[in-house]
Amino acid sequence: MPPTRRGRGLRHAAAYAALLPMAATVLLAYLGTVAWSVRVSVSSSRTLPIGDFVGFSQYTRLFASERWMLSLENMALFGALFIVGCMVIGFLLAVFIDQRVKGEGVLRTVFLYPYAMSFVATGLVWQWLLNPELGLQSTIRSLGFPNFTFDWIVRQDMVMFAIAIAAVWQASGLVMALMLAGLRGIDDSLWKAARIDGIPTWRVYLSIVLPMLGASIGTALVLLSVGVVKVFDVVVAMTQGGPGLASEVPAKFIIDNLFGRANIGLASAASTVLLVTVLAVLAPWLYSRQRSSRQAGAHS
Amino acid sequence: MSAVVHTPGMPTAVPASRRPRALLRPARIGVYAFLFVSAAFFLLPLYVMLITSVKPMEEIRLGNIFSLPMKMTLEPWAQAWFTVCTGLQCEGIRGGFWNSVSIVVPSTIVSIFFGALNGYALSFWRPRFGNGMFLVLLMGAFVPYQVVMFPLVRAFATMSLFGTLPGIVLIHTIFGMPVMTLLFRNYYSTVPRELFMAARIDGGGFWRIFMQLMLPMSLPIIVVAVIMQVTGIWNDFILGLVFAGREHLPMTVQLNNVINTTTGERLYNVNMAATLLTSLVPLVIYLVSGRWFVRGIAAGAVKG
Amino acid sequence: MRQPTAIVLGIALAFGAAAVQAQQNRAEVIHWWTSGGESAAVKELANAYKAAGGTWVDSAIAGGEAARSTAINRIVGGTPSTAAQFNTSKQFHDVIDAGLLNNVDEVAQKNNWDKILPAPILNAIKVKGHFYAVPVNIHMPAWFWYSKSAFAKAGIAAEPKTADEFFADLDKLKAAGVVPLAQGGQPWQEKILFDAWLAHTGGSELYLKVYRDRDAGAVNSPAFKKVLVSFKRLKTYIDAGSPGRNWNDATAMLITGKAGVQIMGDWAKGEFQAANQTAGKEYGCFPGFGPKSPYIIAGDVFVFPKTTDPAQIKSQHLLADTFTSPATQVAFNNKKGSIPIRTDVDSKGMDICAQTGLQVMKDPSRQLPNPEMLVSPDVAGVLQDIVTKYWNTNQSADDAVKAIALAIKG
Repeated sequence: MPPTRRGRGLRHAAAYAALLPMAATVLLAYLGTVAWSVRVSVSSSRTLPIGDFVGFSQYTRLFASERWMLSLENMALFGALFIVGCMVIGFLLAVFIDQRVKGEGVLRTVFLYPYAMSFVATGLVWQWLLNPELGLQSTIRSLGFPNFTFDWIVRQDMVMFAIAIAAVWQASGLVMALMLAGLRGIDDSLWKAARIDGIPTWRVYLSIVLPMLGASIGTALVLLSVGVVKVFDVVVAMTQGGPGLASEVPAKFIIDNLFGRANIGLASAASTVLLVTVLAVLAPWLYSRQRSSRQAGAHS
Repeated sequence: MSAVVHTPGMPTAVPASRRPRALLRPARIGVYAFLFVSAAFFLLPLYVMLITSVKPMEEIRLGNIFSLPMKMTLEPWAQAWFTVCTGLQCEGIRGGFWNSVSIVVPSTIVSIFFGALNGYALSFWRPRFGNGMFLVLLMGAFVPYQVVMFPLVRAFATMSLFGTLPGIVLIHTIFGMPVMTLLFRNYYSTVPRELFMAARIDGGGFWRIFMQLMLPMSLPIIVVAVIMQVTGIWNDFILGLVFAGREHLPMTVQLNNVINTTTGERLYNVNMAATLLTSLVPLVIYLVSGRWFVRGIAAGAVKG
Repeated sequence: MRQPTAIVLGIALAFGAAAVQAQQNRAEVIHWWTSGGESAAVKELANAYKAAGGTWVDSAIAGGEAARSTAINRIVGGTPSTAAQFNTSKQFHDVIDAGLLNNVDEVAQKNNWDKILPAPILNAIKVKGHFYAVPVNIHMPAWFWYSKSAFAKAGIAAEPKTADEFFADLDKLKAAGVVPLAQGGQPWQEKILFDAWLAHTGGSELYLKVYRDRDAGAVNSPAFKKVLVSFKRLKTYIDAGSPGRNWNDATAMLITGKAGVQIMGDWAKGEFQAANQTAGKEYGCFPGFGPKSPYIIAGDVFVFPKTTDPAQIKSQHLLADTFTSPATQVAFNNKKGSIPIRTDVDSKGMDICAQTGLQVMKDPSRQLPNPEMLVSPDVAGVLQDIVTKYWNTNQSADDAVKAIALAIKG
């Protein structure tokens, strides 16, 4: 007889003890260090931390910086492209691979291998591929299509799209793996039942399977969001933030100011603003997801 | 929410996945077509990397990235592994290989263990403040860790862990905890609570249920976690550079030395070869992990 | 029983002494020289140090920022290296202010640095009267490189002596179907191009008023605006594939004869060498327009993290001493592509570009410190942002002037 909701959880001492490392990590390694960086953001620290207090002048400078504001816009645009691209492609790949295709092992590795390579070299390859003189544009033109243009990477308005292509290439494989793990957890009898009921396959996927993959989708979304907020390697390897400042992203702004410009005060302010932005966007969504999953988990 | 049909007496998890009967011809062709086109897109950069890695520099300077090499040579590969300069030494990138292994193996095991433990405790035992802590942990995943480098360096120095192997393993565990906990917590949320309750009724305690029931059931997600951690830790550069100490510098430091020279000449063929060599370890893990991406393991356990 | 004991004791002592000898003057050096040419150069330094009785422990980390931040993290973490590489700039001045560097006044006194080093370098390494860094080379970021075959194709007989002649030559190259100016579209390269243009066409006076004196009046002057406008004119001579291009890919265009000119630092020689081309034969070089063109000085130094361990201090002094000796200077800089920090060296083994550079350095009026020696890394970074934006967008010269005037105040 499945029990009904058991209240606020079983208070077993072992559970608390087992979670002590996590609590320590959260308090010291995360809360503590973030608090430190917030403190630095109200000081005039340059290469090394200084203990003075300058109010919000770093923040004022931050918001007056065209480069920072542009980086936030770019992050939003990139985020939309990247998340939608990876989720759609990752899901489709997982579904199609799951159809008992031949050579599944090889296919899985083909779609996953980009994830294995760091962007330092693959970013350069993408730069070559998308460069109008070296890559696809010049090759296709030489094949007899003289008006073919694909120079997104050198255009101020389209460079983030070019970067999104490379980023989706790298990360969709992981989304595929997550979806596949979720799909493989779905009971066989589901398919039998659906077949008996005469439901077309695509409807089964859309109305039945997709909701069941809720947990995998949630995981994938969070992972991709972290990737969006921290996007750095692909930008540095492909465009160095260019042309001009057009592909600047927050993580690059922060790291440039941390190391190259010896301005950890400004970098900490930027990081704090970034964290607050993420909190404002994600915390409500996460909280609501969690409440619904708790309810669902309680009476399944 | 269950559309699953439990047919009593039916044997558990039919191993060969019984999909709906062979789809109609066009749909089947469509599946293969989609996979083929996707594979071409995914493989294009690899093609460029491979042929660049076997061309001499004179050909690369001409800038024809798609053309096959006129004079193919495996010299760049040998150079990358054995002789390319990474500073004063010119012994290729192999120097850091065992360092990387000695960092990746314990870090992966420890971080996945704690992720599973946390996910299990949070999901089934629901202690007070558990979800609050989890949210804070997740938020922490969004902080670029370079920003908080100084306090961590100081803290580790005080604990005499700065520049040591246990130190870098601890760092990877700390920074892997949000994602690993998320993976397992979300995975366990799909496991029906009856299973857990039944085990408790049978007299199982916290650790027994974890070790004997939940962990074995988590194979698919453990595979995903291994993929993520091995890739992330093997390719990690900045954490290893700062926290591993001179004696334990991972291979990525040598790789970076080869690729990112500031004012020196850039040998693109060697760079590509070095990158491909470095990525072999995660790739092998991906290939090998395939065996566990089988259906029915979780499903079978649920029915049982 | 005496004999064997004595022998064993003797052997033990010998081993012990050897062990002590082997670790004598142990110096761990953090630097960012990792490629083939750079590695050969740093080997000269290491060999010289070994010959002087030291043990070199190498910690190479590619990428200036990665290496410098590692050095600082090691200092913060309590396990500093013996020496760490920085640029001749203000990068390490914060570390000095925090009291985390040792000075090498003894070595400076002994070797007469005040007399033999050029003024811009002295200003960068001497803070509050103490010497905190040892310079090892002089790089010049504003050389003009050209492909002889491209020049021949365009019918250019001689190197241009003025900016107008230069533009005329660029036009000839364009007419001949060659890319006139090979440019790598990365912010730091665009900044180098701008600084070179400011120095070579705006003149040393204007350059120093802007960078050293932070004179807003100089920035708002018509002369400065003229520099900005003609700088932007250079953009009409580059090719469409320029954005994002690495500096060495631009040099490769010269090597293959696809492009005519590149304005880049003297480290470009390494690329030509790797392609087996020789200065004066397949490619040419000149340091500016005319016989009095300014010579922008940049370079690398080594600093010494604070320590009270006498053995480490001894190593630090030995390093400083070795690095600045004439023989080491020649050996190192020949491999590095830069020129020695002192002019009293034998220039026989140097290629013609380096010899030209050394000659120019003998004239103090032509020495010009690079911007990083005059402004903080932060201000230098903001200026780079402004220049790259101006280069890549349709921003007007007036707006750029306003932005620069605001930035140099900081």
